[in-house]
Formats: sequence, C-alpha cells, structure tokens
Amino acid sequence: MRMLIDRSIKIFTSLRLTVILLAFAILLVFIGTLAQVDEGLYNAQARYFRQWIIFGFDLFGRKIPFLLPGGYLIGTMLLLNLVAAHIYRFQLSVKKIGIQLVHAGVILLLVGQLTTDMLAHESQMHFAEGETKSYSESPRNYELAFPTDSGTGREKVVALPGRLLAHGGEIQNENLPFTIRVKSFWKNSEPQFRAPMMQNDPPLTTNGVATSFDFHPVAETKNPDEKNIPTALIEIVTANGSLGNWVISGWATDDEMVETLRQSYGQQLGAQMSRKIIDQLMRPQFIETSGKQFIFTLRPERIYHPFSLTLLKATHTVYEGTDIPKDFRSRVRLQNPQTGENREVEISMNHPLRYAGLTFYQYQMDAGEAAAQAGRAPSSVLQVVRNPSWLTPYIGCALVAAGLVTQFMFHLVGFISKRKVK
Amino acid sequence: MKLSSFIRQLSRGSFCLLLCAALLFGCKRDEAKVYQIPKEASPPSQPASEETAQPEMGSPPPATTMSLPRFKYQLPEGWQEKPPSEMRIASFTVLGSNGQSADVSVVPLPIVGRDLELVNMWRSQVQLPATSDPDAVKQAEPVAIGTEQGRLFDFVSEQPMIGKSRQRIQVAMLTRGTMSWFFKVTGEDSFVTSQKENFLQFLKSVSFGENSPVQIVAAPATQNENADSVWKVPADWQSVPPSEFLVAKFLIQNGDAKAEVNVSQLAGEGGGLAANVNRWRGQLGLPAADETESSKSISTFDIPNGQATLVDLTGTDSKTRKPARLIGAIVPQNGQTWFYKLMGDEQIVAQQKDAFTKFIQSANYANAH
Repeated sequence: MRMLIDRSIKIFTSLRLTVILLAFAILLVFIGTLAQVDEGLYNAQARYFRQWIIFGFDLFGRKIPFLLPGGYLIGTMLLLNLVAAHIYRFQLSVKKIGIQLVHAGVILLLVGQLTTDMLAHESQMHFAEGETKSYSESPRNYELAFPTDSGTGREKVVALPGRLLAHGGEIQNENLPFTIRVKSFWKNSEPQFRAPMMQNDPPLTTNGVATSFDFHPVAETKNPDEKNIPTALIEIVTANGSLGNWVISGWATDDEMVETLRQSYGQQLGAQMSRKIIDQLMRPQFIETSGKQFIFTLRPERIYHPFSLTLLKATHTVYEGTDIPKDFRSRVRLQNPQTGENREVEISMNHPLRYAGLTFYQYQMDAGEAAAQAGRAPSSVLQVVRNPSWLTPYIGCALVAAGLVTQFMFHLVGFISKRKVK
Repeated sequence: MKLSSFIRQLSRGSFCLLLCAALLFGCKRDEAKVYQIPKEASPPSQPASEETAQPEMGSPPPATTMSLPRFKYQLPEGWQEKPPSEMRIASFTVLGSNGQSADVSVVPLPIVGRDLELVNMWRSQVQLPATSDPDAVKQAEPVAIGTEQGRLFDFVSEQPMIGKSRQRIQVAMLTRGTMSWFFKVTGEDSFVTSQKENFLQFLKSVSFGENSPVQIVAAPATQNENADSVWKVPADWQSVPPSEFLVAKFLIQNGDAKAEVNVSQLAGEGGGLAANVNRWRGQLGLPAADETESSKSISTFDIPNGQATLVDLTGTDSKTRKPARLIGAIVPQNGQTWFYKLMGDEQIVAQQKDAFTKFIQSANYANAH
C-alpha cells in the first residue's frame, strides 16, 4: 500500500507528466482548431474540448482511429499534477514565495477554466421597445414546453430538453398525463408555406401548423453565425389512445427566425399577406386531456429570472454618412418585486449591466433609420452571461505576474548585493 | 521509473479520475425542468396612436394570443361540436331532419362600443342594406347569457339567398370588460327559428371560468364588406366570407351547379404569369405547360388603366373531381398584382364570363384596402 501511494505521488508530481499533458494539449488544440473548419465551432468544442476521451478524430477529411485524452481529462490531470507538485515540493521560505505565487496563479487559472465550463451559461434576451422580459433564451438549444394554467394567475411549465427529442422514442414525464412519441426529428429544417391556391403534397399531419406549413429537413449548419432550427413530428398518446400527430418547430417560436420569415414573405407577397402567413405559423397548438388544456411549443430553452427588464429605448447611431455603427445603447427598466427595485439602467457596448450574478451585454440591435425604413419596431438583444468564476482569470493572472515580479526581484536584489560585496 | 511503467500507472490514475468525474458531473443535462411562473400577459402592444388604437373593421388585424376566461356550456340535443377555427373558440353544427343545417359560432373580440358597425356587418351578411339609424342597435332584445345579460340581434334576408330559402342570423352579444362575446346562429330562416329555444337554452348554460391563453384575431374578417365600393358586383353573385388569403369571394349558384369567384392580391408580380397559369392548370388536374403551350389559353382584355391577362382553362376540379372550367385574370396595378378566378361548373362559367370581365373592369382599386 505504501509503495502504491509512493508511486502515485511520484507520478502525479512528476514533471514528465506535465510535459506529456502539455504535448497532448498542443495536439488537441491543433486537431480541434482544424476540425472547426468541417464541424463548426460548437461541434468541435463539444467533441474535442468538452470531452474526457476522444475516440478517433477527423483530420483533413480523413477519419483517424486514435484514442486521445479530451480537454477535460488534460485539464484535470494538469490541475492534479500541479496541485500535487505544489504540495509535495512546497517549502515555506521567503526565497520561494515567487514560485509559490506563480503556481497558485496557474492553479487558479485551471480551476477557473473548469468551473467556467461547468457553471457558466450564456443566453440572450430579445425584446422590442416597450416589451418586458423576465426570461432569457438559449441561442442554440431548444425545449419542448408545456405551460398549463395552475390557477391563481400562475402557470406550471414542464420543459423537456430538445436533446430528448433528438434521441427519439417515447418521452414520459410524471407531470404530464400523456406520452410523447417522437416520430421524426430534424436538427435543422426549413418551412414552406402551404398556400391554399397551390397544389401541395399531403401535409405532414392534419393537425395544427402542419395544415399551413410544410417542413423539410436540411443539412446541419456548421457556421457559428447561423442557427440550426429543429422541427419534430410527434404523436401525443394518452391511456385512452392517441390524440393525434403534431408538428412542432423552432420556426414558430424563435423571434429572430420569425422576423426573418416575415421579411422574406413580405418581399415576395406583400406585408399584409406576410402577416397572415406568420399568424398561421405562430398560432398556438394545444391538446386537452384530463380536464386540462396543454399548449405545447418547441421554443428556445428559457431561463427565468426573479426580476424583469423592460426595453424603454433602443438607440443605434452610425457615423455620419456611413453605415458603420457608432453606438448601440439600450435603456431598460429593471424591476425586482422581491427587493422592490425599480430603476432605469443604460446598457451600451462597453458598459454591461451586472445584476443578480448575471452580466447583460449589449449584443445586437435593430433600431435607428434602417429599422424605421423597414417598418420594424426598434428592438435590442442582450447577451446574458452567468459566470460565477469570472474573476478567476483576473486573479490568476495577477498572482502569476506578482510571482514572476517577486522572483525576478529576489534574483535582481541578490545579484546587486553580490556585486556590491565584490 | 521506466516510461512503460509510468504510462501504466498513469492509465490507472486516469481511469479512477474519469470514474469520479462521471459521478460528479453525471448526466443531469437531459432532465425535464418543472417550474411555476406568473401567467404570461398578452404580447406587448405597440405604442397606441390615434390610427392604431382601434382595429379597422375592413382590414383584419393580426392574430394575437389573449388571456380569456375558460368558456363552458351545455350542448343542446342535436348540436354537434366542431373543431374551433379562425376566430372561433367554439363551433357547432345543428342538423335538421330534412337535411337542413345551421352553423353556430362563439367568437370573443376586443370590440366595444361599435354596435352600429357590427349591426351593418350582420345586415350585409343577409344582404340587407346598411343603415345609419342609431336606433338599429336598440332593436336587440335582452337575453340571459349564463348569469349575465346580453343582447340578441335577429336578421333575416329579404330574398332567398342559398337555394330557395331566406337566411337568418341570430347573434347574442355580451360585453365583459374590454371584450365582447358573440354567439351566432346562421342558417335557413325556418330552421334557425325552430332552433331558437335550443339557442336560448345554450346561452343560459354558458359559464366563464379562469383565464387561459387563446389566440384570436382582433376583428372579424369582413373584407367583402367593402366589395361594393371596389367593384360593381353582379346581382346574382352571392358574397360569402373570404378565406384568410382572399380579398373577396363570391358564390354563383344555379340549382346544384355552382361556381366561385375568388379575388386575391399579392405584392409585385405575384410569382409571374407562367407560374400562375401552371398553378391554375394544376387546380384543373392539367400538367404544367411551357410558354408556347400556355400562350394558347391566354388572351388580353382592356381595363381602365391598361390591360389584363385572361386565362381560360378546362379540366377536372382536383377537389371535387367534377368537370370544371377556370377563367383567371391577372391585373397588375400600382406595383401589386390582383388575381381574379372564376371556377366551377362549365355551363355557369360560360354564362358568367362577360359578367366576370365587367366585374374586373369595374374595379376601383383606390377603395380597396
């Protein structure tokens, strides 16, 4: 036993392990960066960096069956290696304080990165002027939500992650008196209006939005500036039998996509017709069972907050005579019924709002002359970031810098002292 | 320590580490979330202005999700429930023993204090002339709707409208806050009259529960209302409510044979001539045609501000599977394209061709919304 502990200590405190891990890290960064070309930023991140083990990878369009440690494993091992070496070789001496500080700083950087990955969350808050939001939405993930009236002015929401739909099969939840049978799921899709005057193919199903729109699967986009909009064909089944098939699509709920469609149909068919078509797309779908009405919608994943923001004014100014943005600015009213707060806040490009552990950055803007000319209500998008460990990189870097300076100063002072003695 | 032994030990360590990590950060990401939130309010309205504060009666405003009380009722004997559609939150069919039928609808709308406009809308639906007499709204009789009191309006056409029967509309209206609820029976005069007791019984059984989100449009689709100010509508054309994507719709009936006139409007060229000719060909079960083939069925005729394109096709109606003829007209006007379609029984279409072209020529697009 003693020998095993000694061996483990030797391994985890060894510089050889550090070198091997750093070599793997270099290789992983190389492979992961190249993979972004074919797989896109988010897929590459998930496949190479947010993994413990990588079973084979793609390089220059070829599959290479090779086992590699993933980002999580390399980071965790480096952290253990560093902590173990730090403890094992720790010597409480003034001369070594610089080295200790550098080590502590690097450890903090590694821990900070791990906690950021595990705990940080990014979402977006879209609103038009005058609109109030108490939730933000995921820019990439969707959820199948069932809001139901729970009386006293409140509603109970059961939200199933979109990933469950992607797995297919049957989904059951103790809060829902029915089973959801996933018949098809398309990670990315396109809608096509079933104009009544056209000869259309049979609809995907004869319920709800499918009577007005066809949806087709399309290739998953790898471009980080584009979105994959999922669509699914589901069957809702109760103990008494099927309540029918329904199409649910992110196209009907994603504000950004709805606006894109509205503009597209507006250009082709005119504003009035476009509005009618979009109304058909956004019409809520629901079923009634067990004496309750269940509206269901495939929508961007929501994160509710105990406070609300109202967009009072969206300002988008450009440099005179150009289209180059000069300033994006959102004036919002922050209301928190729990604390009684009710105040106005200005959020601009380099002045985020930090509140309740969240940071609200000015992200996108549709205001100013361009929006007015297109007849769109001024709107703004805030990037909402929850990162409990956002300070760790700053503190880590400061420790490393302080350690290096201290160490350098010790050497410098020692050197100068020696010269004086001579 | 040798490198091979080092790697072996390292692998063991990594395995243990993986196991711990899997336990620590186990698969919690696919779990459902269940939470309570305050009920969502209706979508925010644009800042109100004089122009937008009230919906225009002639143009349908956008659909919106509104929070409405859950609506309960007892179904009278012989009434059959239909799926709700468009603005209706409840819909029923009443069938008589002699094949007669009536349609019952329940529609909530955010309209208050526009009674005369509503009365004229219902009058137009039974082909009664519009009235400017403010006393017309006072002719309603009080009626019990659940535990509340509403008003019952009754309109009957002066002439037979469909077949040989006169049409009757009975509408019970109840205003609750900013919403008005309309309970409407439409059908043949005698049959609707015979159903009055059932209708009153149905109204009495109504109760309103807690609010729940329902999508409705803000005002009824009454585009046909101003048809007379845009076109000279032939006397034997019966105006019927257009579907959502039409500007106007008319029914021409002669015994069992019938034809329909649809009017729609699109921005720009509306897809162009060739695409629309092929669209119409498709409706008659004809294969798509190239330009040469299409040109055989195309002619032009004069309209006040230029020329319209006329398409004349014969085939089989892809919906009814009956022989049918389609005369379509494409009229470019002020950057928009108007599409007119007369389609149905070959004999009726042939009889109505002149009336159809005159109808198109009579258009005053300045009055069209």
